[in-house]
Amino acid sequence: MKSPGSITAEDHILGLKWNPEGTRLLATPATGAVLVADEAATLLEELPGHGMGNGISDWFDSEPATCGFDGKIRCGSREWKPGRGMIEHVRTSPDGALLAAGQGKALYIFDTAGSDEKSLRDLPTVVSDLAWNPKSPAEIATAGAGGALLWRLGEKEPFARFDWGGASLLVRWSNDGRWLATADQTASVHVYDIPRDNPLNMEGFESKVRALAFSADGKRLATAGSSVVTVWPCASAKGPDGAHPIQVDGSESEVLALDFSPATGQLATGDGEGTLLVVTFEKGQFRRKRARLGAGISALAWHPSKPLLAVGHTSGLVTWLSMES
Amino acid sequence: MSRIPVTILTGFLGAGKTTLLNRILGENHGLRIAVIENEFGEIGIDHELVINAEEELFEMNNGCICCTVRGDLIRILGNLMKRRDKFDHILIETTGLADPGPVVQTFFVDEELREQTAVNGVVTVVDAHHFSRHVGETHEAEEQVAFADVILLNKSDLATPEELEETEQRIRAINALAVIHRTTRAEIDIKKVLEVGGFNLDRATELNPHFLDAHGHHHHHHSDISSVGIEAEGDCDGKKLNDWISKLVRDQGQDIFRMKGVFAVKGQADRVVFQGVHMLIDAASGGPWAGRPRKNSLVFIGRKLDREALTSGFRSCLA
Repeated sequence: MKSPGSITAEDHILGLKWNPEGTRLLATPATGAVLVADEAATLLEELPGHGMGNGISDWFDSEPATCGFDGKIRCGSREWKPGRGMIEHVRTSPDGALLAAGQGKALYIFDTAGSDEKSLRDLPTVVSDLAWNPKSPAEIATAGAGGALLWRLGEKEPFARFDWGGASLLVRWSNDGRWLATADQTASVHVYDIPRDNPLNMEGFESKVRALAFSADGKRLATAGSSVVTVWPCASAKGPDGAHPIQVDGSESEVLALDFSPATGQLATGDGEGTLLVVTFEKGQFRRKRARLGAGISALAWHPSKPLLAVGHTSGLVTWLSMES
Repeated sequence: MSRIPVTILTGFLGAGKTTLLNRILGENHGLRIAVIENEFGEIGIDHELVINAEEELFEMNNGCICCTVRGDLIRILGNLMKRRDKFDHILIETTGLADPGPVVQTFFVDEELREQTAVNGVVTVVDAHHFSRHVGETHEAEEQVAFADVILLNKSDLATPEELEETEQRIRAINALAVIHRTTRAEIDIKKVLEVGGFNLDRATELNPHFLDAHGHHHHHHSDISSVGIEAEGDCDGKKLNDWISKLVRDQGQDIFRMKGVFAVKGQADRVVFQGVHMLIDAASGGPWAGRPRKNSLVFIGRKLDREALTSGFRSCLA
């Protein structure tokens, strides 16, 4: 691993996001300025933070879209404040046309002109996380109390309920559109096989599950929840149902961040002690490279087309790591 | 790592919570206090240290019927704990109609919050003039009083001395342990609100059930929520005590809002202190008896408490 460079934010890195072209990286710290850097780790821009805390940013309409505890969304010269409550994340639809933000029991959807007419208000639960269907830009999942709900824009009722009665913290939708997965407060992961309308429940994690990620082809789901990362096979007809997952050890403490490379299929994992694992999968086996990077790793983002990894730390440092030999 | 103290502020609509919050935020006390406000629909406080969040209740789905917690708090506090510049104190305001139970339970249930924060106490603001009406209208007003470590009997200037006395007695009948301050426009020394120590097991050693005798039985009791204090000399059998408390919270945990105790356990030189909220209990060593007589003190605040059954149940645990 070689490091082309690094930048430093004021605080713990909450999220990292490359733009679709892979030319710029957005680094969101817990407080303070949101940073924009290029592929070579040159700092390009410092965007104002959101008061008491930032939410997770995304790219929208070729601009960084930031949000936070002040209830505001800023995107270039545009600013929206749909309500008083905090906004924990914004997420751009797969076609890039819409920006979604959960604020309390409302799911706001903005288009590039700023119209929010597709928003859903008075949802049954607060939105703790949200995920667009990569295969259908008119479908979005919200997580919260009870589980996850799947919505079609323009409809007032969810078209599917993944309501297992507990509490979901994170929700992710696989790129092939088949799987929806939630990471839960109750040390569990719930996976929903959408075409088969079949919910699966994975329990036995050591703690609440703070990270999960699908591989770009949707064939693997990696879950945190301890110092061992569990990788579930999702390629077969039944997916993880009855299958033996791969257990990736080597971390020194609880894993806080996971990401699969769209370019190489490798999985990167980061723990609270700063241990980075880069895992390569081959015919049901895996091999891993391990590096100790100092401060705890709180966010990871692979470049969309190159073997280049951005690593965000609890200290505010963001390091670029190239896997090219 | 030192844990950040958290105070939970409850009170019925219009009792004066916002006035108190504005006072806390405006005073020159030298503390950095983050406020999490949940009063959607009411007049919010526009201040850089205030976070607005919509209350999100969720069940842990782990078989414990009392494990309803506040998901929004888990996420907000989790985020605040990540900050490099930590706060000196965190204040959580609940909605006027909120049951404080889930807020308190959140700090027992979430591992991360247990490690990084310490619930300092529940402060309840009561409208001295309208409390009787609020109690008659909903059960939340009573539950907010039952959970409290400190009660501000606010708007005292609007009530007659007789009304004040009657309201205070009514509050005492529900919660005999809370410290009551009579206030006007929520004027109070901020230390009396922030330095409560109601969930601090060290301070549980100061428990005095005789307080109940002085206040608990001399007036009309309109509520089915009350306090029961038990005191007994002699050592407990640790296993019997554990079995009794476990069964008690399993069978009646839903109706027990708060419990605190100091025990002399056979074979243990130090005091054993414990506290609980509904079905969630926490125990620790309370340090040496330091010359004081070894005796057991226990207080329950809850709904439909059976004093005789609790007393005889506890006495059966004596060694």
